[in-house]
Amino acid sequence: MQIELALFAHLTPYLPPAGAEDESGSSHARPMDLPDGTTVGQVITRLDLPAGPRIVFVNGRHAPDDHSLANGDRLAIFPPVAGG
Amino acid sequence: MRSIMRLNMSTLSITTEPVPDAWARYGGRALTDAIVFAEVPPKADPLGPEAKIVFAPGLLGGTSAPNGGRLSVGAKSPLTGGIKESNAGGQAAHALAKVGIAALVIEGVAADASARYVLKINADGSTEIVRDDSLTGLGNYATKDALDATMGDVKRYATITIGPAGEMGLKSAAVAISDPDGYPNRFAGRGGLGAVMGSKGLKAVVIVDEGLPYLAHADKDAFNAAVKKFANALREHAVTGQALPTYGTNVLANIINEAGGYPTRNFSDGRFEGVDHISGETMREVTVERGGNVKHGCHTGCVIQCSRYFVDKDGHYKTKGVEYENVWALGADCGIDDLDVIAELDRNCSDLGIDTIEAGVTIAVYMDSGKLAFGDGAGALALLEEVRKGTETGRMIGNGAEATGLALGVEHIPVVKHQGLPAYDPRPIQGIGVTYATSTQGADHTAGYSITANVLAVGGSVDPLKPEGQAALSQGLQIATGMLDALGLCIFVAFAVLDIPEALDAIHEMAEAHTGQKWDTDALMQLGKEVLTMERLYNESAGFTAADDRLPAFFYDVALPPHDAVFTVTDAELDSVHDFVADTATAMGISKP
Ligand code: SF4
Repeated sequence: MQIELALFAHLTPYLPPAGAEDESGSSHARPMDLPDGTTVGQVITRLDLPAGPRIVFVNGRHAPDDHSLANGDRLAIFPPVAGG
Repeated sequence: MRSIMRLNMSTLSITTEPVPDAWARYGGRALTDAIVFAEVPPKADPLGPEAKIVFAPGLLGGTSAPNGGRLSVGAKSPLTGGIKESNAGGQAAHALAKVGIAALVIEGVAADASARYVLKINADGSTEIVRDDSLTGLGNYATKDALDATMGDVKRYATITIGPAGEMGLKSAAVAISDPDGYPNRFAGRGGLGAVMGSKGLKAVVIVDEGLPYLAHADKDAFNAAVKKFANALREHAVTGQALPTYGTNVLANIINEAGGYPTRNFSDGRFEGVDHISGETMREVTVERGGNVKHGCHTGCVIQCSRYFVDKDGHYKTKGVEYENVWALGADCGIDDLDVIAELDRNCSDLGIDTIEAGVTIAVYMDSGKLAFGDGAGALALLEEVRKGTETGRMIGNGAEATGLALGVEHIPVVKHQGLPAYDPRPIQGIGVTYATSTQGADHTAGYSITANVLAVGGSVDPLKPEGQAALSQGLQIATGMLDALGLCIFVAFAVLDIPEALDAIHEMAEAHTGQKWDTDALMQLGKEVLTMERLYNESAGFTAADDRLPAFFYDVALPPHDAVFTVTDAELDSVHDFVADTATAMGISKP
């Protein structure tokens, strides 16, 4: 399956390099091929994200690490951020 | 000794009196509220002779309390018609506090409406009131330059100024405060308080604090220990120690967009396709590339340092920030995705002296009428030029989103209590909707920043798409905010305070060690409740009812993509937010003014 992965702020450097097929031009999002049923936590391990709190969205809703991803999902991960 | 300084513009006389015992524990928002509550009739014309405008540093103003130099500006708002506290950074709060002024109250109106006055407060507490009509119509930046030219060898002073919008009495007019570098770029933006200042004939206040040390404390060692504890907590928390100083407030653009709550093109979408061009990450890259400043405090003593300067392509200062709210209002809400255009709009708003949030929301409403295409940055700039010229269209725009929407027959006018909604759509982020609806201030995110638990996982977690728990969340945050505003602390300390218990302890320890009064956690929360109680009672007397504590109908009826969300918090829950007011009023021994 393929998902869209997006990383922000201090996590942006952990994005895999953009493939030739990625024409989005986004500085934060990439397509990512994964085995079916991969969980959020498994993606985090695979990316080797730094330890510490994270805010995770799947399709714009908060999701826990054991959430199983589906084809076409958008997974977005943020370090703690705030403002206002 | 803390004193209240009064300038009567009708007689041009200045008096000073000690802060009455009843207000000994009040600073900032608590003190502006208490003075407006006691002295400005709730039905008074906000731009008339009975109105007053009050400038108050917090209880910790003039000390080294981290992030403790915020200024409260209070009045009856010409925009909302209710009581208003508009909060700003900049150097004025510390300067006033160091001179010994707990509140500066401007009363009456100048006999000659064409006169422009400058109040100068010297470091020894002496004052001068100077008429200078050559300042008429000048923007904040030119006004600041003109004031600088009168200061001779004096280097350390803060200014409070208004631009032409304030002189014209426009309902979105803001009050500008000078920052540590002297730029007039920090704003008490919301609620039209620039118009109140303008109505009095007061163009500027200059406060000289050259040579003045921080204030003395009742217990110096205890104060310094508490300061250390507080500063450590602010440095340790990932938000206040890392994200805010690195990216500024605009770090929020991506996450609010991700959550589907980034209001786009007059609140018709929850995601903006151009967000990547205007996000905090992109802004940092652009600013660094151009050699701009990407981290400083808006006032001396800020530990978090979320402020920065945006520079043009040649590396010249353009404006501060740009803050998340401003980038959103003048960007996504208007469909504009060019940072340089947004910065130019921001600079113009700052110079004119109008609230950037209200300006953006208003331009978006204007665009929604069909008179200008969404995304037309040149057209948006031209509208601000109309404001500067004071044309009919300009006055309409300068009077805000509701005035503009009603005049043009726009269906979706995003306002509560006549004030434009900030940068979070209340349908997919319902907690902030509760704050918008119920705040005494009109739609104001800072009044109870439910984005914390709704989106940012700070201070717990409450599902943003569901109504459950939102009223309690907003209530707690509104009370805490009232407290922080009264102490003069920047509300961004809350991100650390909500997660690190020692930070809250440090706040009452600083208050106690500085004042010698007894302070604890309960007393802090009591202070927050007293703030809201005065405001709530005042607004009731000004004519507000439960019907004013609601969002505009389209937030309940029109589903917002991508989550197809509508606002579902019930009226009963909204009405529960102020359930403590009656008891607090009894305990305070006050009733409706
Ligand atoms: S954190 Fe930002 S807004 Fe708060 S005091 Fe510091 S610079 Fe000002």
